[in-house]
Amino acid sequence: MKILVVEDEKMLSDVIVSYLKGEGYLTEQAGTLDLGTQKVNLYQYDCVLADIGLPDGNGFKLVAEIKKCHPGTGIIIISAKNSLEDKILGLDLGADDYLTKPFHLSELNSRIKSVLRRRKFEGQKELVAGKLRILPENRQVYVQDELISTTKKEFDLLLFFISNQGRVLTKESIAEHLWGDFADSSDTFNYVYSHIKNLRRKILEKSGVEYFRNVYGTGYVFEIGNIR
Amino acid sequence: MRLQNKINIRFLMVTLLVFTVAGVILYFTLGNVIDHNIRGILKSRKTNVILYLQHNKTDSILFGSPDRTIFIRQIAKIVDQSIVSDTMAYDVREMELIPFRKMVFTTTVANVCYEVTILQSLLESEDLQVIIFYFMTILFILIILALFFLNRWLSNKAWKPFFKSSALLKSWKIGENKQVHFDVTGISEFDQLNKTLEEMIEKMQADFINLREFTENASHEIQTPLAIIKSKVEMLLNDQTLSSKQHLQLHEVFETAIRLSRMNEALLLLSKIENKQFAEKSDISFNSLIESRLAYLEELIDLKKIKLSIDLSVPFIVSIHPMLADILLSNLLSNALRHNCSHGKIIITSGNNEIFFSNTGDPLTIDPLKIFKRFVKQSTSEASNGLGLAIAEEICKLNALSLDYTYQNHLHCFVLSKKFKN
Repeated sequence: MKILVVEDEKMLSDVIVSYLKGEGYLTEQAGTLDLGTQKVNLYQYDCVLADIGLPDGNGFKLVAEIKKCHPGTGIIIISAKNSLEDKILGLDLGADDYLTKPFHLSELNSRIKSVLRRRKFEGQKELVAGKLRILPENRQVYVQDELISTTKKEFDLLLFFISNQGRVLTKESIAEHLWGDFADSSDTFNYVYSHIKNLRRKILEKSGVEYFRNVYGTGYVFEIGNIR
Repeated sequence: MRLQNKINIRFLMVTLLVFTVAGVILYFTLGNVIDHNIRGILKSRKTNVILYLQHNKTDSILFGSPDRTIFIRQIAKIVDQSIVSDTMAYDVREMELIPFRKMVFTTTVANVCYEVTILQSLLESEDLQVIIFYFMTILFILIILALFFLNRWLSNKAWKPFFKSSALLKSWKIGENKQVHFDVTGISEFDQLNKTLEEMIEKMQADFINLREFTENASHEIQTPLAIIKSKVEMLLNDQTLSSKQHLQLHEVFETAIRLSRMNEALLLLSKIENKQFAEKSDISFNSLIESRLAYLEELIDLKKIKLSIDLSVPFIVSIHPMLADILLSNLLSNALRHNCSHGKIIITSGNNEIFFSNTGDPLTIDPLKIFKRFVKQSTSEASNGLGLAIAEEICKLNALSLDYTYQNHLHCFVLSKKFKN
């Protein structure tokens, strides 16, 4: 999977790239609109992360350019501007998602995966993690071929964890993933806890495996490595 | 007190003083003149009497004049001295006792000694005092009247440019970006004042816009470094070699960065609202928006075991930017949820032109009047940044809505109502 990061802030670009490398992606960087346009014209990427405020122009131009030459490429806009108009404009131009800075890397990762799933595998692909099999389109979870019932939030939570396997997911990023703007209440951490508790129980009952690991004071990790 | 009145009072006080002094001086001066005059009259009458005595050598010489002002009698011995004194006497014409000046002298005519008494009425000099007093009083009243009319005329005419400028200033609000233009009055003082005001307003407006732009730009620019901090820390949190203590500390950094970015986002939003970046309006039904927002919050409400009672039967439609409507209701709802207690209640009812958001919760420890102020918050809770209600109020202010807070029957109640322009 090839991902292009178009972001003028070198440090942010670097940290995104190193995170994505850890996820096993091939990444390239572009710091300007000009370089980004050149790259999308020359190569085909699976996903492009496009910043809107670039020093030499507007990132929307890049979105339009990608749509022109490689319509199959997934596009995620990353912008410092949290504006409805920009969001609508970006999505109208053909972007798949819009992420406002500052975002969680785990959130970015999960969005990339979601875009790739939709784009590359037409949403058909099932995700397999350990004894779990997930059908994202149907929002179904199978544990050892047995369907388990999950609430909407529990499903979103599981998908978020599976997209970020082996990574520490902080309480904050989980809460923000599930509740967006409403995540700013400290109560939400209790909700995160209770959702994870339920999810854990459901999976443990059927599979007998504990995939979730609690990282004291910080958050949780979804791991399948230690049971192999 | 009006300036004109203040000036008038001073002026009247000085006038009164001047008039009194002038009256006194006038009185004494005129008194002296009259005194001098009377003395002259007495002198000439004395001469006349002596002449009369010299020419009428008769026995019937002892007499008094018909107007009873001259009395002559024979005496044995001459006293070489004339005595002038004031006395009261009965006046036939006035029919009352009036002051007289009396002159008594002796003279010898044809070896006969006479004593002559001449009386001269002093009535004129007494009248003078009264006349001066009345004259001064009338003059004083006339001056007051003149001042009164002058004042009215001045207020209406001469001060007109001043009142016009003052009305213009009153209607001017910073941030409205309205050009203020003062008319040329032709009066140099006012023109000077207006020119200074115009310059000052221009400067203030420019400064205000600069400051607002600065706030927005600053908040905007802060987002990217914050994104870097957050991302870097998130990377570090995945480092297996860190001890759990380091991990915890790192997580605190992460938490703080999130808080900072939330606060910054809220400030950015506030300045955007203040900068009127959400000018486009469309009719939004708050009823359906509340319902969809509540559906989103359903789980949070369930988890806190909060009883929700909603009556949104009366439609409440506002012309507002869709994003602002969303933010406003989200803020009010999450406020009702956040400051609620477990097993509490949230009651939302719509009425004619108003919607009530009530929730249970601990009473306020802060001044209810300050509830909409920035950074004023009930708890030291880290989750709340103290900007949510400030944003809600700002949104209301710009969309002809009013937001009021009351605490009744252990319920915090926010009333959102439409303002009507009369």
